[in-house]
Amino acid sequence: MSASLDAATAGRLARGAARRPLPPVFARLAILIALLALWEFYARMFGDPAFVRPPTEVVHALFGKILAEDTVRQAILLTFWELAVAFALAVAIALPVGLVVGATRFTHRSLFPVVLLLYAIPQVTVLPLFILIFGLGPAGKIAFGVSHGVFPIVVNVVAGLRNVNPLFVNSARSMGANRLQIVRRVVLPSVIGSFFAGLRLSMTMTLLGVLLAELYVSTAGIGYFTQLYSETFDPAPLFALITVLALMAIALNEAVRRAELRSSRWRG
Amino acid sequence: MAATTAREILGTRAIQAGFIAGGMALWYYATDVAGVSHLFLPKIGSVYRELSELIVKGAVLAPLRVTLTSVAISYFIAAVGGIGAGYLVARSAYLVRVLEPVFAGMFAIPITLFFPLFVLYFGIGAESKIAYGAAYAFFPIALNTIAGFGNVERRLIDSARSMGASDAQLFRRVLLPAAFPVILTGLRIGFFICFASVLGGETLLSRTGLGHQIAYAAELMESARMYAWIVLVIVISTSLNALVSRIETYQQRWQQ
Amino acid sequence: MANAAAVTIDRVSHDFGSAGDARHVKAIDNISLDVARGEFVALLGPSGCGKSTLLNIVGGLLQPTAGEVRVGDVVVRGPLPHDIAFVFQENTLFPWNTIVQNFHVALEFQGVPKREWNERSMRALQSVGMQGFAAHYPGQLSVGMKQRIQMARAICLETAILLMDEPFAALDEQTRMVLGEDLSVLLAKTGKTIVFVTHSLAEAVFLADRIVVTTARPARIKKILEVGEAHPRDRRFMTSDKFNALRNELYELLHDEIRQTVEMMRDVSRPG
Repeated sequence: MSASLDAATAGRLARGAARRPLPPVFARLAILIALLALWEFYARMFGDPAFVRPPTEVVHALFGKILAEDTVRQAILLTFWELAVAFALAVAIALPVGLVVGATRFTHRSLFPVVLLLYAIPQVTVLPLFILIFGLGPAGKIAFGVSHGVFPIVVNVVAGLRNVNPLFVNSARSMGANRLQIVRRVVLPSVIGSFFAGLRLSMTMTLLGVLLAELYVSTAGIGYFTQLYSETFDPAPLFALITVLALMAIALNEAVRRAELRSSRWRG
Repeated sequence: MAATTAREILGTRAIQAGFIAGGMALWYYATDVAGVSHLFLPKIGSVYRELSELIVKGAVLAPLRVTLTSVAISYFIAAVGGIGAGYLVARSAYLVRVLEPVFAGMFAIPITLFFPLFVLYFGIGAESKIAYGAAYAFFPIALNTIAGFGNVERRLIDSARSMGASDAQLFRRVLLPAAFPVILTGLRIGFFICFASVLGGETLLSRTGLGHQIAYAAELMESARMYAWIVLVIVISTSLNALVSRIETYQQRWQQ
Repeated sequence: MANAAAVTIDRVSHDFGSAGDARHVKAIDNISLDVARGEFVALLGPSGCGKSTLLNIVGGLLQPTAGEVRVGDVVVRGPLPHDIAFVFQENTLFPWNTIVQNFHVALEFQGVPKREWNERSMRALQSVGMQGFAAHYPGQLSVGMKQRIQMARAICLETAILLMDEPFAALDEQTRMVLGEDLSVLLAKTGKTIVFVTHSLAEAVFLADRIVVTTARPARIKKILEVGEAHPRDRRFMTSDKFNALRNELYELLHDEIRQTVEMMRDVSRPG
């Protein structure tokens, strides 16, 4: 709530100064700088050092404790690696599953309800079970990530298959296309659009799964460090660690978004 | 999507029921016949026994109360905050252009990342889960509110104004009804995110609540008890799911 | 000696759903028609009367519940990509391919060897003046341009017969006029046999050699008008007395059928 007030104030300030609205990019930048400045001021003046540290200290901790220290850096890299593997596995599993489920009315009618049933379970419920089965190492985190990431892809691929324009199929038939050609030249290109749309959500979900698992297993990995910094009331490196991971998440999301844009150049 | 007939829904339910029955048969076979480790997969009988014990002895009540109240409070905060913020932002096209991508971008980062911060500030009690759930559910609600109000057709507004509508009338008769379905979708998504977040928070780090019970049982390697709690949570979650769908259907019919 | 008619429609009827079914609809009732080689026949009738269904049957996309269609001596049992090309009202250019890729895919479907693709595609595009857009995506083009290209694609398939299902219905009056004139010119040049579905009276008179007026559903032939004017046709014909007389006659013929169609729709939407 206070964030939106600050935003409104900052917005008005910016507008007043320029006498004309700033381009949104600059407005956002202005808001960001204003918030950081506010944070810095509050932390130095009033903040309880056990809970709040100014951004400058966070940056310092970033290079001092987080990126410099081998153990922390390795934990971050491990998380990234787990994410990459989980995402690749999720795609490798979900794409054929989605194609099979959506292929015919029969498979859709008989298999999709199962997909929906599984999708409706809040997966965090079975997190302890996953760790119990796969152990405390990367396997559990990858598995949990995969189980989160498969659903958006399956659902989207199935929808894409159902929504192939029958007009295109008819047109292809009239020109003499056989079944294989229709699948290659009409169905698959139609589905690819949906597939990429599901890909971005899948990346977010896979990340969620891996993160949850990592945070749950607090004996090693980033879960260990987040707990360490929380328990010792050392907010600066905690903020720094979270910032690094957040930037990683944004970068990955952006990468998938770029891939999506490139594949749908024709959407005009 | 084409409207689903009653028969199609029945068919879907039948298949899901069949899947569950088949799953249970497989479960029975795996544990009682094929001898799968009882640590990973306890016997159905054991799980059933633990579950009945939990219910009969009333051990279910306290964690259930904690979780449900946490969800209720955090959802309330998220809904009020999300719709309020969404409405305020939607009033200005400029604000929308500036802030909407920010909200959308933040939603792309799993808020789970910030969970340790919530624990740092609110402790490991229910407050941190409430704050975490509220923060997470805020975004889809705010985003959908912005989209809902933002996408009201210009023509509808112009038409109402030309007939002399005041600001209040415009809001009640044009903006709100037009934006309502989209906002409702946001509220629905927000609810499930809230529920999953509270549960997740309890599982990760808590001393109370349903999530904690699952994690605690896992820690003690008491698989049957863990499975019992999992079954319980799934039943609750499915019931809530069904409840929300029912409410949504009523809302739609009322809107007609 | 081969049948002189390019397309023979022989006592075709078509029902959707079976008799007694609540959703049973008789779309076409016993239509017979011979289309001569090189002739332009327009099917004109009220909306939803079954003209498009008939066209789909002629093109082999649908099998009639009674009767048959013959192309030359061959009975139509499925699509005949080497003899018949379609132009639909809606866009059927694949949005994920460029224009020229769309042509290539069409030729691939037809089974034309790869080495001929480029030449035939560019020639067809040139015939409608759209060769500059070969590398564009359909999403970047206007509706009128896309229709022009769909016509070019049909031409590029080099079939003797062209079936067109209200191809200009989605276009504005001006684009229609231009495309209509171009089609007339194309006709004179290529001598293709064309069956053209429309519900525009002016369009039918301007383009067709013969106009087949159909009744409201189920479609039957009400009357066949001869236009008797050589192609290419131009604005002198459009503003002539003969044109107006023909159009007026069509109006008289269609008026009652259109009324009846509206009545039928009102009956369907009435509750109970």
